[in-house]
Amino acid sequence: MTDPIGLIHDPTAIAPKLPGHSVAPGKGVPGGFQQELLDQLKTQISQVNQLQQDADKATEDLAAGRRDDLEGVMIATEKADTAFKLLLSLRNKMMDAYDEVKQIRV
Amino acid sequence: MYGSLDISTSGLVANRVRLETISTNILNQDTILDAQGQYAPFQRRIAILAAGDPASGSSQGVHVSHIEVARDALVPRLEPDSPFADEEGMVWYPDINPVVEQMNAMEAMRAYEANIAVVEGTKSMISAALELLA
Repeated sequence: MTDPIGLIHDPTAIAPKLPGHSVAPGKGVPGGFQQELLDQLKTQISQVNQLQQDADKATEDLAAGRRDDLEGVMIATEKADTAFKLLLSLRNKMMDAYDEVKQIRV
Repeated sequence: MYGSLDISTSGLVANRVRLETISTNILNQDTILDAQGQYAPFQRRIAILAAGDPASGSSQGVHVSHIEVARDALVPRLEPDSPFADEEGMVWYPDINPVVEQMNAMEAMRAYEANIAVVEGTKSMISAALELLA
């Protein structure tokens, strides 16, 4: 299952680490949260990539006659499409947030 | 998130195999020889569905466990001139009723379409959830 920001499996994964709050060992270092988010993103991007490659291979196998279940190929394509859309939405959301921050006057 | 998609896929595959079995029955309703040209009337095939999906290793879903061959599903026809007639002049043909097979085919098609509808529903649920982010 694709879970790009780890919201489902680990709700604490991207919870804001507020000052004064107790944090898990090893996660309290400065930049720990960013690093964690970056790692999560990298993992999820590679998962989406894997789904895309699976879908490509399924289509290729269907065309070459190595498999005959059209349904499985269609669903693999659909999974890859959905996962990519979710990743794209996240990216857009992040860019929106970045733009908002850029607008802040100091 | 993709669980229901996988379950629906197993239903689609199972019903396709079921329809293939039925089409085999329909096209072989007058077949009395086997592939080697020996006298062996075709016997009706029935796809037996079972729970679980070995393809994905999930206990959910459905799969065709095996194709059952109906035993002694033959009917005699009086054809004394046929080289395959027995001593009473009877040639044994497959006991396949095309009307029944057509009904079974329609049932398998409706089941397939129902699975497609479920897939469409899952897809629209996923894209509706994506709308939350956009």
